[in-house]
Amino acid sequence: MHPFNLANCLTVSILLVLIGAFGVFRRRSLILVLLSVEIMLNGVNLAFIAFNYFRWGGTESGHYLYMLSIGVAAVEAAVGLSMVIVLFRNFRDITRDRVAHLGEVEE
Amino acid sequence: MPQTLPDILFAIAAVAVVLLSLSVVLARNPVRSTLLLIISFVPVSLIYVLMQAAFVGVLQILVYAGAILMLFTFVIMMINPEPHSGEIPAGSTGEAKSGKSGKMGALAAFLLLTGTGFVLIPPVHWAASHLPAEPVSKADFGSIASLSQLLFANPSENPLTVSFELISFLILVGVIASINFSRRDKVSAPQHTPPPYISADTQGEN
Repeated sequence: MHPFNLANCLTVSILLVLIGAFGVFRRRSLILVLLSVEIMLNGVNLAFIAFNYFRWGGTESGHYLYMLSIGVAAVEAAVGLSMVIVLFRNFRDITRDRVAHLGEVEE
Repeated sequence: MPQTLPDILFAIAAVAVVLLSLSVVLARNPVRSTLLLIISFVPVSLIYVLMQAAFVGVLQILVYAGAILMLFTFVIMMINPEPHSGEIPAGSTGEAKSGKSGKMGALAAFLLLTGTGFVLIPPVHWAASHLPAEPVSKADFGSIASLSQLLFANPSENPLTVSFELISFLILVGVIASINFSRRDKVSAPQHTPPPYISADTQGEN
């Protein structure tokens, strides 16, 4: 009984993605939605490294994909948080419900 | 068969990372959520180290926890939301603000994602345990030297070099976009001439 194998790593990875998706659905603050997206990205990164170690162990392609992914995650966090700051400056409100009605005219 | 040290460490780290991520999603206070996510990166990087990806584990702590999550913390501190704002009120009292529909939505999301998990995890688990193993062959797998060989050896013909350098363009675009977003409205008067409402006695100071 060895728990350290590809199947268990992928299970943890799927669980992280599902937890992050639950956070995206549940949280109303935009910052915490972005934080939940980071949890999902974290699960995907775990799958990259696990496949690279257990299955395709020839070269470090999974490590390369991990670096690509954190680069994208950094850019996403920076742009998303600056949008949150603009929304906060304009509306004093960063809940999802406010942002869902951005295109509508204020009464 | 006796359990080896990697098995025990992996089991502890896997349970820890799932529990910590759950508490990130469920915590009421945004600052606490962010700090819990930073803590949850420690067992993740332990799993990376177990998979001979020590450099990736270092990147996880340095870049993810040290840079990206600090950015989140700074923005939360800057905006300074009330401790319970932006949350669906949990607990039996159920405040009037977003009470019932929010709770129903959270329940629906929970049921949907639990169902997805039950559908998704068993086949993936079965398939992954029946894949033929092709374990790591190199002795220095995951070391910085080996990784840089992969990325930068023979750069004129290596497609990974170009695509790796293209990440920096992506980051440049992100920097320009976030500066452009967070810039205030254009100043109508030039900076060096004081606006007319400044009286003469304060003008002399700058």
